[in-house]
Amino acid sequence: MPNDCNHMNRPQRRRAGLVAVLVLAAAFAASAQDDLDALQLQAAPAAAAAAAESNLHAYVELAAGRVERRGGLSSQDGRRASLDLRYAAPLGAGWRFGLSDRLDDVHPVATGMRATTNSLREAWLGWRDAAGTWSADLGRINWRRGPAYGYNPTDYFRSGGLRAVTTLDPVTLRETRMGTGMLRVANLWAGGGATLALAPKLADGPSQGASAVDLGATNMNDRALIGVNQRLSPSVSAEGSLLLQRGTSATFGASLTALLTDSIVAYGEWSSGKSRRIDDIVLATGAPARRVQQAAVGLTWTLPTALALTLEAEYNGAGVDRAGWNAVLAGGPAAYQAYQAQIQPGQDIGSRRAWLLYATQKGLGLKQLDLTAFVRVNAVDHSRLAWAELRYHWPRFDAALQWNLASGGGSTEFGVMPYRQIVQLVGVAYF
Amino acid sequence: MPDSSFPILSEALPVRRRLVILPMALLGLGGHFGVRAAPDAQALLSASDAIRNPTQPFRVTVTLTEFAKGVQVDATTLVSYARTLESGGQFATITRFVRPPRDAGKVMLKNGSDLWFYDPGTKAAVRISPQQRLLGQASNGDVMTVNFARDYRAAIAAEETIQDGERRKRQAVKLQLAASSDDATYAAIELWLDAASHAPIKARFFADSGRLLKTAYYRRYRMELGVERPTETVIIDGIEPQSVTLVGFGEYAARNIPVSWFQRDYLPRFDAE
Repeated sequence: MPNDCNHMNRPQRRRAGLVAVLVLAAAFAASAQDDLDALQLQAAPAAAAAAAESNLHAYVELAAGRVERRGGLSSQDGRRASLDLRYAAPLGAGWRFGLSDRLDDVHPVATGMRATTNSLREAWLGWRDAAGTWSADLGRINWRRGPAYGYNPTDYFRSGGLRAVTTLDPVTLRETRMGTGMLRVANLWAGGGATLALAPKLADGPSQGASAVDLGATNMNDRALIGVNQRLSPSVSAEGSLLLQRGTSATFGASLTALLTDSIVAYGEWSSGKSRRIDDIVLATGAPARRVQQAAVGLTWTLPTALALTLEAEYNGAGVDRAGWNAVLAGGPAAYQAYQAQIQPGQDIGSRRAWLLYATQKGLGLKQLDLTAFVRVNAVDHSRLAWAELRYHWPRFDAALQWNLASGGGSTEFGVMPYRQIVQLVGVAYF
Repeated sequence: MPDSSFPILSEALPVRRRLVILPMALLGLGGHFGVRAAPDAQALLSASDAIRNPTQPFRVTVTLTEFAKGVQVDATTLVSYARTLESGGQFATITRFVRPPRDAGKVMLKNGSDLWFYDPGTKAAVRISPQQRLLGQASNGDVMTVNFARDYRAAIAAEETIQDGERRKRQAVKLQLAASSDDATYAAIELWLDAASHAPIKARFFADSGRLLKTAYYRRYRMELGVERPTETVIIDGIEPQSVTLVGFGEYAARNIPVSWFQRDYLPRFDAE
């Protein structure tokens, strides 16, 4: 590229130089003024952190929206009210107590479903030594495991945890699930730790009562889980798991997370255990359990604009393939409901293979405006479930607009969902 | 410590695997003075670190107040615990969010390249990248303690009179810092220290493209843990100068939390004192 300055005569160059100096001087003056303006700002006096901290965290969430239904049915108005409580407090001498509960009231509800559901998520008593090296917890505990966003094969205590499905966002949905009754003992060392959990059978099956503690949903079998976590390098961590369940052979699991670059995190988790295929359970074929592989691998990439994109590949060896799905559909509405009942409470994927693209953008144009969105693709029949939320924050209140679209052919997983589209407004008040 | 320098931009990234020694001319830094390496520049930097950050393990309450065009738009309160895990090593930091209520109880951990975020709602401890932003405008680096001397090579660039955070004229030594480790957050930093006490007065932080990311003023010096330390940092966005964050530090206390706490598995147990 030619240097235009070379084509200027001396007076022109002098004028250009003068302009450059004036521009620089103006920029410097503006910058100095910006600094002066900033230095005049004063922060409001802050309360002491200790005084501001509360053992109780609570919020009330109200939602109202419109549901566009399939099958020639007219659109329907929907509404929901939720009360969410979390309490944890030290009792002294290393002892702690925790309680977590959620109440959901959803309208309208499908036939046979509850409008009002209470989920006692956690109730536990814990102890740890002064150094924090040893700890023990007893009660209903929500021990969440696995690094994946949408599907966690190594999250062995996820089964039966969801009593009410109030969002399709897999990340938010985890806030509503119940823990499992267990005794958990952990030992930590620098860079790693080991945990043993003993979760006994406490009931034969889930309870339908609106306010039931519902230990049968989460403790239907005797289980023991050992997990060992180790930091392998400054940017790589791994975890191994062994799950023992009464009446079946051992399940093995492993997960790994790694920081690949300043902006990319990779993760993966895998589990191998005996299980019946979902279509065999739904259709009561009597086919025996067999060893199946389940896995999820993904990358989260953060762009310079702070947009974080996660792409996740999911595989469920017990999920339905094309033939299995066709068999479920042939079983009619009852089989479809049974299929949903199999996958929803444990946040499983029903198809053999799936993809998830998950995106978050903090400060979308405005500092207090966040965008969260995802698309889940059934990789067997290529149907899609999309969800997006715009959320604006005030100090103690959030307002959100949520949109959800289930799309696909007439014989696909998301193409036969009872609704096609949902739009709703959500308000959340924090206490 | 909460890095009193407080990176506010998403580009405030470690320069891991892309270490570049920026030509000073590219940044337009030190051109008038001619950067000269000085044997005591690194010692000056260490001295200023010891003023910004206590040398012993400690806790501190950090308050971030964000302004846009002069109007307060957000406020966040955190409690931060920091210590070095090895002799001469960088700080590891665990930070718990106290306010606003929607974020209360969330925990962030930095131990070298390890960055983890724990949400008591989802019970999930998630590995995050230095660029990933989870809590509004505050970047992850905003709540981490950093000793510059470990990650940057210092040279004395000038001695000059500048305006400090209280809008007074101060005689200062200007240091030019260049990233020298994978964990360095910025490619380059200009740092002005008080000529006599070596207390930090002002800093300018640059991306590896040479772009100004932010300007910081260290002010409101007060005796904390035996040393006169800055208790407020004014952060001015390099792109949007009307976007300003005041970072206050208070309630300092010596607190020697165990090394084994600085890992993912401990985060669910990390609760209020």
